[in-house]
Amino acid sequence: MDLGGILLIVGGALAAIAAILYFDWRARHKKPAASGPAAVKTNEPPQPVQAISQMAQEDVEHIFNDDFREELRNRGRLHFEKIIGENAMFLQQDLRQTTTQLNEYMRTEITRTLQIEFKKYEQSITDAKQLALDSIEKTVTTIEQQRQLLESQMQNQSEAERNQIIARFEAQMARIVNHYVMQAIGNQIDLSDQLEFILTELENNKAAIIEDIKRGA
Amino acid sequence: MALKSQKPVETAAFVLPAQLSGRTDINHLLRELETLEEALISQPVRETQAPKVTNLLDQTALANGYKLQQQPHRRHMADQLTKIRDHAPTVHVSFAAEPSPKVTETILNWLRTNVHRYTLVQIGLQPAIAAGCVLRTPNKIFDMSLGASLEKQTPYLLELLKGAALDAPAPGTTTTAGLPAGQAGKP
Repeated sequence: MDLGGILLIVGGALAAIAAILYFDWRARHKKPAASGPAAVKTNEPPQPVQAISQMAQEDVEHIFNDDFREELRNRGRLHFEKIIGENAMFLQQDLRQTTTQLNEYMRTEITRTLQIEFKKYEQSITDAKQLALDSIEKTVTTIEQQRQLLESQMQNQSEAERNQIIARFEAQMARIVNHYVMQAIGNQIDLSDQLEFILTELENNKAAIIEDIKRGA
Repeated sequence: MALKSQKPVETAAFVLPAQLSGRTDINHLLRELETLEEALISQPVRETQAPKVTNLLDQTALANGYKLQQQPHRRHMADQLTKIRDHAPTVHVSFAAEPSPKVTETILNWLRTNVHRYTLVQIGLQPAIAAGCVLRTPNKIFDMSLGASLEKQTPYLLELLKGAALDAPAPGTTTTAGLPAGQAGKP
């Protein structure tokens, strides 16, 4: 049951109580009608119909005298109090039930609202966490790519430098060995021992030497 | 007698002794011949003794059958030497150290036997050669040194170095063979 239904029930109960109190107040302040018409009738000339009516009125007044009225009033008051008590009890039950339902409703609504908010909060945390994880993953991926690129560049550079050093060493190796030999045994080599080597080299270059001598001449 | 003595001078080719290696020596001989000429001309007037000739001039005259006392022989010899000095091919040979006369003569003989009979040699020094020599003709340089020989043998030297590098242990590794006695096998 929603709040509108509860307010409708409470309003209905209050309207019923107000109507009962109004009718009771009206019954208490109503003037007796016997004195008015009787005085009028005494001033007018009696007629047969009127006489009958007057007789009936007198019988009625005779039956519904003040004691009887008071007794009826008491009975009505008791009945009214009984009804009021029953209605008050019903109203109390309804109020308790309504209060209970209101509490339950409020608890349910608050719980639901809190659950929704908690779900939103949890979802926000989950999204933020996922966002952070994605960012970290992207960062890690980028760092890994940069590392691989840097590693590749360093390997290439190292390889190129190594090849350059090897090429330079190979190019200068004969000169290095020659310098080493010259420093080691340069003063101990006798030219007489080299004559055979020199003559062999001269024989190897004989044709070129003759050719160049002829050209020069 | 004069004709007989001039006969070998005109017909036979001029012979350069092995001791006469370069233009400097020829210039020395020419100056010596000039001095000798002047001395022999003034000898009857001054009544002095004939000057002594050097061994190189004596060897040159002997090798060609000249008699230095005769003026035609001296003039012919001077003319030949001048022609050789002006027209003979000259090669420059560099050694790491000063060569001995034996080495110079051997190389000179080879050149005069195989290249040109009047080849002149100019000796130079290049300590960087280490061994061998560098021969420079008018248009070319023939590097017959140890460095050039090593340059030619570079592939072989590379193979030796690669073989040595492959056989050498990696740096930082220790083998039991490299440990001192008593430590091999211990943790």
